[in-house]
Amino acid sequence: MALRRTPLSFLGAQRTRQIFALAITATLAGLGVDRSSARDIERGARLAAACASCHRLDGRDTAIPPIAGVDQDKLVSAMQAFKSGKRPSQMMYIMVRSLTDEEVATVAHYFSTLGKETTQP
Amino acid sequence: MNRWTRREFTHLAGAACLAPFSPRVARAQAKARVVVVGGGVGGATVAKYLAASKKGLDVTLVEPKPSYTTCFFSNLYLAGLRSLESLTHSYETLAQKYGITVIHDMAEAVDPVAKIVVLKNGTKLAYDRAVIAPGIAFRYSDIEGYDEAGTQSLPHAWNAGPQTKLLREQLESMEDGGVFVITAPPNPFRCPPGPYERASLIAYYFKQFKPRAKILILDAKDSFFEQDLFQDGWSRHYPGMIEWLPGQFTGGIKAVDVKGRAVKTAGGTFKAAVANIIPPQMAGELAQRAGLVDQSGWCPIDPLTFESKLQPGIHVVGDATSAGDMPKSAFVTNSQAKVCAFAIATALTGSEAAEPHLFNTCFTFLAAHDAVSDAISFKATAETIKISEILLSAVGEDAELRRQVVRTANGWYDAFTHDVFG
Repeated sequence: MALRRTPLSFLGAQRTRQIFALAITATLAGLGVDRSSARDIERGARLAAACASCHRLDGRDTAIPPIAGVDQDKLVSAMQAFKSGKRPSQMMYIMVRSLTDEEVATVAHYFSTLGKETTQP
Repeated sequence: MNRWTRREFTHLAGAACLAPFSPRVARAQAKARVVVVGGGVGGATVAKYLAASKKGLDVTLVEPKPSYTTCFFSNLYLAGLRSLESLTHSYETLAQKYGITVIHDMAEAVDPVAKIVVLKNGTKLAYDRAVIAPGIAFRYSDIEGYDEAGTQSLPHAWNAGPQTKLLREQLESMEDGGVFVITAPPNPFRCPPGPYERASLIAYYFKQFKPRAKILILDAKDSFFEQDLFQDGWSRHYPGMIEWLPGQFTGGIKAVDVKGRAVKTAGGTFKAAVANIIPPQMAGELAQRAGLVDQSGWCPIDPLTFESKLQPGIHVVGDATSAGDMPKSAFVTNSQAKVCAFAIATALTGSEAAEPHLFNTCFTFLAAHDAVSDAISFKATAETIKISEILLSAVGEDAELRRQVVRTANGWYDAFTHDVFG
């Protein structure tokens, strides 16, 4: 068990935009990999269920960055930034570190296909 | 356990005997049935995720109350920072959008052999899988002089609703200079930071309206979750207002004098202007009646599916479970419920098994504009559930970061309750 005291916390949309400007282009998106099979959709939905404890699947979040309908590469980049600590967030750091790269790509693809009510995570 | 009449038994036995001879017909005629008992976070989440899975399952949710008031964030109501209505959620969307059959009645018994849930009105609900999400029950007998009737004078307010309202009314009518006593229960109990967040937020209320009031926490334990964060917050926001007496001083909560509003510990008797007695806890009553509880008072479960280790075919989620390192929180319950729903879908429909992903986050308020949080991931194995990683807020964080946690917490409440009920 790793126990850490940390000043990390969720950040708002303003900081989010700065980080996206700096983010390296996604490497985990699995370009050329078709993730639209029924099996991948179901896997994506099950992974997304964990995200739905904090992010609304209709994208109508308040205070927490919406992720429904956001471009897959942007989501993968964001999750990489959380995982590396470049983008500080307690929960996202913990969450992304528990996922494999394959799972990150699958769940990012799933969210990218949800209703395009928002465009900015 | 429910006693079955001869007629009921014959009917059920007949059905059981016939079933093996016509499995194809049975499958073609009927959807697999899941009966979920308990409309709190656990039960509502399981029901919603099963119904939303589009696996053709027949999902029934049994809950006596017409709506659910969340325990989480109810300390904000006690502080006058939120209305009780803003914490109350109906089952309409679960019924209308997801097609869940919502029955507002009490489940009285479960027959794990016949696979039937019996309601108070006599209805028998047959199931292929049942989910029991009974929440907690209180061990009143552990505190001499305290019982359910006593909660009308000395509220526990540990199930949100009328009890929370009663405590708020008592705090509002308390004279300035009075002592508000909270008894904090032994582990394990629902919401580990809850009693201390309650002290913090009621101190926030007192600071504005009854600045000479004092808060005394009589604890059964010698330490508590995020103790350094709380004690730092108390000294910064409410110096001299909150006193915490650990178990080594109190010797545990022994008795209460309901009429005299006094709490008796091994270390002495404490008179209160308002007393909030949070009793020791165990799994909810239906879990006990259904044979789901072991000698610990909680429900042992398979960590990968949340199926009871005592009653096959029945799953248990939420505060009633004995789930390794997982604390009894709403977030944990929601996380367990999803793993449980996916496991049931796999068992009933043959869909691909999913790797369980289990998490916890708690947002804890020290004041209206000062909140802290934790984030935990868990690893489930066939034997148990262990903490994988944990991050906690730290003493000394700047005020703006704490205000940001407050904003995030409010956004989280909206998203989380939408996930459960919306």
